[in-house]
Amino acid sequence: MILSELLGRSVVDDAGTRLGRVVDARFVLDPAPGEPNSTARLYGLIVSPQGHTSFGGYARRDMNSPALIMAYMRWRERGAFLVLWPDLATISSDTVTLRAGYTRYSPALVDS
Amino acid sequence: MSESLPLPPQPHGRVIDAHLLLLDRQVLDPHDVPVTTVDDIELSHVPDATPLDPGDPPVITNLLSGPVLATRIFGGRAPRSRFERIPWGDVTDVAITTHISVPAEELDLTWVERWVGAHIIAHIPGGRHDPE
Repeated sequence: MILSELLGRSVVDDAGTRLGRVVDARFVLDPAPGEPNSTARLYGLIVSPQGHTSFGGYARRDMNSPALIMAYMRWRERGAFLVLWPDLATISSDTVTLRAGYTRYSPALVDS
Repeated sequence: MSESLPLPPQPHGRVIDAHLLLLDRQVLDPHDVPVTTVDDIELSHVPDATPLDPGDPPVITNLLSGPVLATRIFGGRAPRSRFERIPWGDVTDVAITTHISVPAEELDLTWVERWVGAHIIAHIPGGRHDPE
């Protein structure tokens, strides 16, 4: 699969309720690039009810100024959440379905 | 962004978002020569409409570069066969730019530039040396 085919797909819960769209994919680099057998595995998907992805660095947890722009970006991205791979039930041609009891996580990036 | 949501478990390894740190980023070879930009990402197995295995997430197999300008303007999607691929194993760093371990002249995706340089630019007076 090509990532752009996944981005933009509708996301629904197990009851069929629409939750938003896939706006980004989060990967874990382990082992890191440049090391033997480096791997980037899909950690989860970022889902946004508005369909807006983050930009300007405001996806990062420690990025919080200028306050006015931060407030706008937070408002623009309201409701977005990260859902981890184990909580994905199926991916069909136009819809991603989550498992019952899935967990919504903060989409903020934390430097590791 | 919802501040009230819990943070996810911190995995071992660096965490990146594809849109933020991979897509549309410039790719540099070991000599810092610009090679291309990352137009898309190819993932390993993602079963279509069948139950997903929670313990077997897909991984990035290739970075893709191809004719995406027209499809971004007019919509649609370029055929997969039109993309040139850079294996993930050749990636050495992901930062503001993406670094790879393969020199630009060894990649198929630079053959047009090399062909134009050898067959057209080289025949123009002064076209065989760097500008002074």
